[in-house]
Amino acid sequence: MILTPYQIIAPLIALVAIIYAWNLVMRHRKTLWEAALWTIFWGAIAYIAIEPNSIDYITIATGIHDRENAVLVTFLGILFFIVFYLVMRLESLEQRQTRLIRKMALKETGLEDQRE
Amino acid sequence: MKTLAVIPAYNEVTRIAAVIKQARPYVNDVIVVDDGSTDGTAKAARDAGAIVLQHVENCGAGAATMTGVEGARAMGAEALITLDADGQHDPEDIPALLKPVRDGSADIVFANRFGQRNRIPFIRRLFNGIGNFVTFAATGRWIRDSQCGFKVFGPKALRDIDLRMSGFEFCTEIVRESVQHRWKIAEVPIKVIYSEYTLAKGQSFAHGVKTALKILLRSFLR
Repeated sequence: MILTPYQIIAPLIALVAIIYAWNLVMRHRKTLWEAALWTIFWGAIAYIAIEPNSIDYITIATGIHDRENAVLVTFLGILFFIVFYLVMRLESLEQRQTRLIRKMALKETGLEDQRE
Repeated sequence: MKTLAVIPAYNEVTRIAAVIKQARPYVNDVIVVDDGSTDGTAKAARDAGAIVLQHVENCGAGAATMTGVEGARAMGAEALITLDADGQHDPEDIPALLKPVRDGSADIVFANRFGQRNRIPFIRRLFNGIGNFVTFAATGRWIRDSQCGFKVFGPKALRDIDLRMSGFEFCTEIVRESVQHRWKIAEVPIKVIYSEYTLAKGQSFAHGVKTALKILLRSFLR
């Protein structure tokens, strides 16, 4: 079996993503459940990359016949991921604003968090 | 055990005073977090004897609750009760909710509006069922009434909790925190008082869908 570069790179990216998720679990920033979902998602991507024939039924349903189309769909997926990542970044900015408003509220009442 | 009540409020001038007065006999102090109201909620709460923390902008129920938590910590609280400002929760249920924390069997107590024969409209039951399902999908823990704002945090939960979600997603985030920090949990049936006013205050379907997507996305990308 001859592997294409895509079939090597996609599982490697998936492996890095899975290791990263479990690393977050070790650092108590992700729950076991979230890491398990993450592992299933990236595991499926790696498996489909190595065994493209495993999704023949999707070929029938979607009309994606060849590897080029599969690569295109994968990159569309990555684009979605980037958009969601940007959404998360926006949320973190919103959180920063919220923390600021919270500090103002606590300060005004003389109840600043004593741990800070 | 020094126990405080936290009531996040947004434009609740007609209800807030009654809620504060009903809650006061069961707690040491009441903190109202006025989340950028424009109708005089803060003044009404102050007049009713509450400590008022005022957001200069509307940030959402989750953000207001976390502000209340920070305030309670600064005041040396050992237990914290959160309840809605619209009067749908009966403060007479507070002792029953506090019991599992006081006897050390729970770090967090979730109220359960479906554990008693409450008259809850079908659409509310449906939305809460979907909320429970989304919460389970995101956290792996099943809570019978995950979206209820009536909760008690014991000393451990009060120390650990760190809410980042600003909107109504915070109810799911609290369940996630309970998994993350391995809190002991309890669920206690409560009464719920639905009126035209409280029903009108509920979330729309579109907002519910948006909230669900945010929860799932966030739990995945976190």
